[in-house]
Amino acid sequence: MIQLFHVFKTYPPNSQALNDISLEIDKGEFVFLTGPSGAGKTTLLKLLFREEEPTNGQILLNGQNINRLNRRGVARLRRQIGLVFQEFKLLPRLTALENVALAAEVVGTSKNGSHTKAYHLLRELGLKEKYTAKPLTLSGGEQQRVAIARAVVNDPMLLLADEPTGNLDAEIADETMRMFLKIRERGTTIIIASHNLELIKRYGTRIISLRHGFVADDLQKVVRHEGMH
Amino acid sequence: MLTAATMATTLFVFGAFMLLQENLQNLLKAWGEQIQVNAYLDKSLDAADVQRLLARVRTFPEVEGVRHISQEQAWRDFQAALGAQSGVLEGLPQDVLPASFEIKIRENFRDGPMIEDFVNRLKREKGIALVEYPQEWVDRLSLVVLAVQWVKWIFGGALFLATFFIVESTVKLALLARRDEIEIMQLVGASEAMIQAPFVVEGMIQGIAGATLSIIGLWFTFQWLRNEIPTFGLLGSFSQFHFLNARHIALMLAIGWLLGAAGSLFSLRRFIKTW
Repeated sequence: MIQLFHVFKTYPPNSQALNDISLEIDKGEFVFLTGPSGAGKTTLLKLLFREEEPTNGQILLNGQNINRLNRRGVARLRRQIGLVFQEFKLLPRLTALENVALAAEVVGTSKNGSHTKAYHLLRELGLKEKYTAKPLTLSGGEQQRVAIARAVVNDPMLLLADEPTGNLDAEIADETMRMFLKIRERGTTIIIASHNLELIKRYGTRIISLRHGFVADDLQKVVRHEGMH
Repeated sequence: MLTAATMATTLFVFGAFMLLQENLQNLLKAWGEQIQVNAYLDKSLDAADVQRLLARVRTFPEVEGVRHISQEQAWRDFQAALGAQSGVLEGLPQDVLPASFEIKIRENFRDGPMIEDFVNRLKREKGIALVEYPQEWVDRLSLVVLAVQWVKWIFGGALFLATFFIVESTVKLALLARRDEIEIMQLVGASEAMIQAPFVVEGMIQGIAGATLSIIGLWFTFQWLRNEIPTFGLLGSFSQFHFLNARHIALMLAIGWLLGAAGSLFSLRRFIKTW
């Protein structure tokens, strides 16, 4: 589903963020991107949702070269990708429900339909009581759940998460991971950038390690998800 | 808020200018109405000749109206003008003053060369002895009208440009304050129209709010001036001045609306490009 061919990314004047990355990720994979700070994890994610463009090389998503997209094409691409960030990136003036519904409205769902979808999703994620709350009145874990609900409200083909547990304590981080696994069951491909080794060990089925912009390791393993049931 | 205030200030200046221009033009129009051409008639004409000539003069395209002043009427007018000194006229024959036509000129012919042309044709008419008109006045009036027109375009144009740039930069500030919001909208795949719409609508509302504020401000200033400066010397009394009419108020609201929308759109285009 995702193919990277000899991808390079250089930031001016001469900072090499990614160095000749070639990768292939199949539909439904659950991938951890790991490595020390500055290894290129965030840059790689940014290339996948076209926040950045590679200096060299090609990125195909379902066979489509995403570097060739115009602004309208980028917007269309992002409607098929769910994004989760360490700092949640919720709109503070909207309620939890409205934040989630916004993403559904963007793809053309009616206002009523979006709100219904958002409400069910928030209830599923244990935020039934909080859907009228503004993000800043919610705890970190709750905000992250709202952000996850927003990311999956349109059943995306791909979910990208950049350090999604970075601001959460261990227990909530664990819970968040279990949510991602549930989402994967719907057939969504999930790529998580993280340096939380504990979580990677427990949940990673494929672990791609980056170092200085190179792929240092690409491990596939079968894991048992104890926490799942 | 800042945008609305800026818009209100600039539209206030623009509105004040429009108010002045409109009233000045009204004043000029009133002066223009006083311009008349006097044609003095040959003494040899009988009543039928005068009527024929009157009918003939009325057919000129420049003529709005003609008043016939008979010799007796001219005598009476002269007497009345002299008032208490009218005794000096005793002993003079009553037909010493010639009969005349007082000719009012149509508005679109009240222009120096056009009046001159009309006067020359009038002079060639049989039965007309002498034609008089206030040439200097006519020339000066045309000059003032021309000056006002030029000032309107130059001043108005500069003002619009300034307003546009002020609105554009205040919108830019508002956008910077809400860049997170824009970023999030872009991340969830919102179309450009969807991202821009709230800002443009906000710009329009601010534009209309600014225009409304400026109109209210102008009205109060106008009332205050009317009370403080009742007379204007040469220009006459302030009570002759009128406030902006419905068309001008609608124009100001439309300008506010348009500038708000255009400023936002222009700012957004540049902002999103440099994202």
